[in-house]
Amino acid sequence: MAPWEAKIKPRDFGKRPGKLTELDSAGFLPLPPPYDKLESEPMIKPLSADQVARYECDLDGISAVSLPRPESEDQKRELIEKFLSGLKKLFNAQDNWTFLQPLYLTMEYCAKCQTCSEACPIFVESGKIEIYRPNFRSELLRRLYKKYVKSGGKILAKLSGNDIEVTWELIARLIELSYRCTICRRCAQACPIGIDNGLVTRELRKLFSQEMGIAPKQLHELGTVQHLEKGSSTGMNQLGFRDNIEFMEDEVAEKTGLNFKWPIDKAGADILLLHNAGEYLAWPENPEAFAIIMEAAGISYTLSSELVGYDAVNYGVWYDDMQFAKIAIKHAQIAKKLGVKKIVIGECGHAHKALTVIADRVLTGDLNIPRESCLTF
Amino acid sequence: MLQIVIYLSIAILLGGTIYKTVKISRMPIHLRWDLYPIPHEKGKAHYGGSYYEESNWWTKPVHTSLSAEIMEISKEILGIKSLYRNNRKLWYFSYPFHIGLYLLTALLAFLFLSAISNLSGVVISANAPNIFGRAIYYTTIIVGVPGWILGLLGAAGLLIMRLSKSDYRRYSTKSDYFSLILLIALLASGLYAWFSVDRSFAILRDFTHSLLMAKSIGVLPAAVQLELILVAFFFTYLPFTHMTHFVGKFFTYHRVRWQDKPNIAGGKIESEVAHALDGKVGWQAKHMRHGKSWRDGAVGGENQTS
Repeated sequence: MAPWEAKIKPRDFGKRPGKLTELDSAGFLPLPPPYDKLESEPMIKPLSADQVARYECDLDGISAVSLPRPESEDQKRELIEKFLSGLKKLFNAQDNWTFLQPLYLTMEYCAKCQTCSEACPIFVESGKIEIYRPNFRSELLRRLYKKYVKSGGKILAKLSGNDIEVTWELIARLIELSYRCTICRRCAQACPIGIDNGLVTRELRKLFSQEMGIAPKQLHELGTVQHLEKGSSTGMNQLGFRDNIEFMEDEVAEKTGLNFKWPIDKAGADILLLHNAGEYLAWPENPEAFAIIMEAAGISYTLSSELVGYDAVNYGVWYDDMQFAKIAIKHAQIAKKLGVKKIVIGECGHAHKALTVIADRVLTGDLNIPRESCLTF
Repeated sequence: MLQIVIYLSIAILLGGTIYKTVKISRMPIHLRWDLYPIPHEKGKAHYGGSYYEESNWWTKPVHTSLSAEIMEISKEILGIKSLYRNNRKLWYFSYPFHIGLYLLTALLAFLFLSAISNLSGVVISANAPNIFGRAIYYTTIIVGVPGWILGLLGAAGLLIMRLSKSDYRRYSTKSDYFSLILLIALLASGLYAWFSVDRSFAILRDFTHSLLMAKSIGVLPAAVQLELILVAFFFTYLPFTHMTHFVGKFFTYHRVRWQDKPNIAGGKIESEVAHALDGKVGWQAKHMRHGKSWRDGAVGGENQTS
């Protein structure tokens, strides 16, 4: 690591030419056994010269978003304008009613005590690469907000030492940096003031997705879009779902001698059971166990074969409010159509948080159908 | 003149703080973003549990404990608990700094109490005939002097940390240093004024009395004048800085981290959410359906997905 890499400051983020840093496994924090032999773990393959020329990777030599480099100065200017327009929307009550209050608090009240740093697995495990510090990302957004969103910001930015210049290089790196965080929110848990750097990550991703149409393919096209269009983020379509159910019915019969049909699209059942679609594909024994128990207990329930209705996950949680709302509302619409009394979520911690907690303030009226964990119903 | 400056600074402090508080509290309802453990979850907080652990939870009363929430935030305010657990080195300075500021806030309260008592004819002095007058006299000294000393030591330590550790220095701006230097100057001037000319706090009491009565007061010693000018400047500056995190912390804890109130059908939360969903979408990406309401954008229709 070059000396300046270790000392990089937020204000330098858009200025330095080339890669800001490079991952070096020698600096990684050792993991406990059996993961302590780094040499046996697959390393990230370096990008080819052609890929480097085509994709933005000047943060750390990695391209998580596969963002093509702009072809002209005009294109750069257009992207910068879009970014600034999205930045203002993050702090507008109508555009960002979903998270304005916690974001505003995070922008205004950070004391820069760096207590969050030691709580961050990405920062610590990477060997404390400076740009991965949770507050680095937040401090960039804070300075951009103070300069470009707050009134009188440009003058105050100079006076207070918060000055930062928006360039395409800064934005391109920030897009990548917003995908160097798991949004685990350990930083928020450790913060004495309650500042939430994990939320900053999500809000940045949201700006890029909702205003600029930029998000990793795995989250957007192959995630939420595929979920809404094909029925599941795994790519499993309705026919595939029904085939899998038939397979699992046969397997249950073979293994246990219990021969029964699984309820699908049964209007008037008490419960809509939502599994994460990965279960059907990778861990069929889980939905099978559910089916056996539900059958034995005589519980009135149904699965759904409608698009979205057989996959409880919601990738929108990680990057986009609208995609999040579309999936949550679709789950509720299916439950309403079937006339169930409640939705029960199967094995998936992510789906639990998405549909029971975060979506709680998306569902209204006859879509406000109670949601409950499979652990309690 | 000094009195007018103090009046103005108090008006800016109160006005600015109230404006910020109202601004934050009037922001629209946000999506649930709670972080567990939530201390008011009665009987469940100690393991990070919640009402979601109950079968058909929406049909049952949610048992909460306001006292547990108050107890937890008190540990945070009085003990700076999170910093103690997660950043002990900084806590050694932050803790005396904050305790110092709490004591100085108490000093202000006692000065005003003295002035009000004076109006009712109560004499405040070491030899006052009334026990109340003697109690106020001694309590003022007990909170004031340690307040300055602890605040000063803490602020100096925080400044040294910020200057000496690259983790802090790299992220610090001119305004971060200015805030700490201003606090050090203010606390040092207070301590010096007390030590040099006002060991009984009689001058500050008289000045507070003159503020309450809007009466003129004779020329004050230079040390007290400097102290009061710095107080006025600090009051004016405070609402524009992150140092009003005593306001922010209320919201980050009680309105975000610990805000787990469920959206019950037909309730107030549901109507606030419904109102927010009726707002127009201003975001421009194709999948956002710019110009539609959030509700229409999220509920079906052509080009809904990508």
